[in-house]
Amino acid sequence: MPSSTVGQTPSLSTYLKSLKHNDIETSIELFISLLKRRQIRNSRSCAIATISLLLRVVGEVRTRDAQQLIERIRAVGRRLVAAQPREMAVGNIVRRVLENIREVAERDQDPAESDGSITTPSTPPVPGETKQRPALRTKFSEFSPLHGAATLPQDMNARAPLSASSGDSSPAIAGMAETALQRPPLMSSNTSFAPQGPAGSSLFSILQHPQGRSPFATPPAGAQSPALRALPAKGDEGPTSEKLDIKAEVITAIQDLQRELEEVDDEISEFAQDHIHNNEIILTHTSSQTVQSFLMKAASKKRKFTVFHTEAYPNNHLETHDTIVNGSGGGSAEDADERWKPLTSMGITVILIPDSAVFALMSRINKVILAPHTVLANGSLIAAAGSSTIAQAAKTHRVPVVVLSGVFKLSPVYPFDTDELIEYGDPGKVVPFQEGEFMDKVDVVNPVYDFVDAELIDLYITNLGGHAPSYLYRIVADHYRVEDIDLSGGKGEAGGAVKAG
Amino acid sequence: MPSQTTTPYDIVASYRRLLSEDPDLTQPVAAIESLILGLANTPATTVSETLDLVSTLTAQLKAGIPNSISLSAGTDLFQQYLITNLQRPSARGDFDQIRSHLVQNGRLFVERAKAARADIAGYGRHFIRDGNTVLTNGGSRVVGALLRNAAESGNGRGRGTIRFRVIYVGSPSGCGKSASDNETAANIAALRERDIPVAEIPPTAIAYCMDTVTSCFVGAEGVVENGGIVSRLGTYQMAVLAKAAGKPFYVVSESHKFVRLYPLGQRDLGIDQRVVEFKTGKGVVVESARGQTDGEGGDSLVVGESKVDYTPPSFINGIITEVGVLLPSAVSEELIKIWF
Repeated sequence: MPSSTVGQTPSLSTYLKSLKHNDIETSIELFISLLKRRQIRNSRSCAIATISLLLRVVGEVRTRDAQQLIERIRAVGRRLVAAQPREMAVGNIVRRVLENIREVAERDQDPAESDGSITTPSTPPVPGETKQRPALRTKFSEFSPLHGAATLPQDMNARAPLSASSGDSSPAIAGMAETALQRPPLMSSNTSFAPQGPAGSSLFSILQHPQGRSPFATPPAGAQSPALRALPAKGDEGPTSEKLDIKAEVITAIQDLQRELEEVDDEISEFAQDHIHNNEIILTHTSSQTVQSFLMKAASKKRKFTVFHTEAYPNNHLETHDTIVNGSGGGSAEDADERWKPLTSMGITVILIPDSAVFALMSRINKVILAPHTVLANGSLIAAAGSSTIAQAAKTHRVPVVVLSGVFKLSPVYPFDTDELIEYGDPGKVVPFQEGEFMDKVDVVNPVYDFVDAELIDLYITNLGGHAPSYLYRIVADHYRVEDIDLSGGKGEAGGAVKAG
Repeated sequence: MPSQTTTPYDIVASYRRLLSEDPDLTQPVAAIESLILGLANTPATTVSETLDLVSTLTAQLKAGIPNSISLSAGTDLFQQYLITNLQRPSARGDFDQIRSHLVQNGRLFVERAKAARADIAGYGRHFIRDGNTVLTNGGSRVVGALLRNAAESGNGRGRGTIRFRVIYVGSPSGCGKSASDNETAANIAALRERDIPVAEIPPTAIAYCMDTVTSCFVGAEGVVENGGIVSRLGTYQMAVLAKAAGKPFYVVSESHKFVRLYPLGQRDLGIDQRVVEFKTGKGVVVESARGQTDGEGGDSLVVGESKVDYTPPSFINGIITEVGVLLPSAVSEELIKIWF
């Protein structure tokens, strides 16, 4: 426990301060206990805490081998995810960091192919001009990606035989080595071109050269990319200065990720003008920072609109009231630098309504804007309780539902069982414990979250732009590696979706 | 051109023989196998000759089999594989290598295809939870494997075997015992043996029982470009009813069944099957839309229980393949990868 903050409720800010002077193991334990006690809630705080923790972990790792770094992060990630599996943001950040590490390691192996830093976009080779084919990465949910499966016999690969295609379990016989190393960076916009990923088709895997390992044989759990496994061997020959770079580059990547987390609201708000017009009536739910800044941006562009704000009783109503009246910073209200003006100060009419009034008023609403807790791989959401009612009412009245979410909330997990993802909160908020007799006779449940199906959502606005729910699988494929989806160390069950968080 | 060593290679006979010999073989893989045997039988020394041979054989096969959708997935895959690998500038020296690799490893491909089924089963069983009731169409080996897998193993959390129930929809009456019926019977027996309660219902009872169902699993003969499926007659019906009742409808299929077809409706499949036959006092009214005036039993007519229908992607919640759970919108991307 951080002794310097005795007397203060442990929270995100105290944790971040304590990170500076605690050792790693203590920090991890502290974070785990914060997660378990739900003293750190909601996606953004968890993401920020996770990334800061991982930054320290990477900084302290002594090894220069990427594989060991990956193992270390996986081990830490496993513990964090197990502490609170329903906080998917934790697992998402861990997987993003893992993806960055793998990318850095692959780039490191073939510096001739790479474009340099992660942030420079790679230019797609024009099809037909070269013998490469721009391949599309489709990795969806668990399981071995078969893209990158070998299609060519080994000697066709002119480059170093171990240049990993996707770093997956398929051997680097992956043909078309020329394209193998052009990793698409974090997409900056709604892309419609084929990102430059490793070529090689998953459907050809059935015919691949027998010297290659069958892609069917290797489960994703604990899969080690053969390319990275060979790193120590190659590293013996390669210059040691390349190895030093891995840690530094990973730290740079993590810092980029931190910046992305900080800027997520601003980037999403950039799209506000396109979606909010004059004289519109918007319905929103809960005191989400993202939604508030989105609406503020539109208001600052001199749009005059009305906002219906549901109360989100009993879990969020106090914050909602506070947000409407005072414009607080939502979840992290204790941070003084997070306060901003309420919408009403910008001349926007905000009407607070009880949750039960949603259906009655929906016919007059032009647009619904929601902020989720987590977005799942098939386009469905986990959002605050009440969102499902809103979405269904919107569907009945043909009102567009727009969801604002940073990419960090997008989880590669496929929702096999949606009931497991709902967290239950304090029933005392629904029926106070003072009513003892009543409580004896009934079961009181207080679900904190709701599952909203992908079919009810019309548009996702992320920091990368607007997407249809059916497109999210591509974003998942771009940001996460399939072998990282299951963080368990050994050969766990293939695809333990919810368990891995 | 087939060389005149012995008799010219009869690909249709070879295909049929492969299918009858190995009940676990899927149509696309049998098509690939028969093409490979064709390659082995007729030595070709140049790339163009080989590709020409393959396209000739493919055309013969498609002409000889009434319902060629499923096998065309295999032939297309094979053709694209060859084209991709053989038309590289540096391929000249490796042509023999590729050819011999293909010819020698026929069995390996078959084994891989079967292994895919096991992977799908291992993956799809996460969809089945305690207390679920699963509705399925029957006749699909992949679905059978998936259900058997779910019945046999626990769900990995030490909670024991998953307790679920299965409702099998029987084949349309009047078809008698066929291969798919035997397959269904074998699956049902296997499940019952593992203490999984299985009910068999006629297709007319699907709507009746739909409210008790948790999810539907069906197999497919082919997965088409827009994410829809071509599957045995009755699947579309189940999909429509499932959607109306709000139940998830999952397709279970190996990825080598993805076929590059974009049907706009039931009659746009490119095959001739007389599902709806009008008769008057004077006899059968023959549709002359395709100029097909033969009676029953012609080679180009799909007969009996092998009739198929097309289920559009809007009815499908997910396609479970060995690469994971794909949304219907992701299927076209997989196809583009091989078709460029």
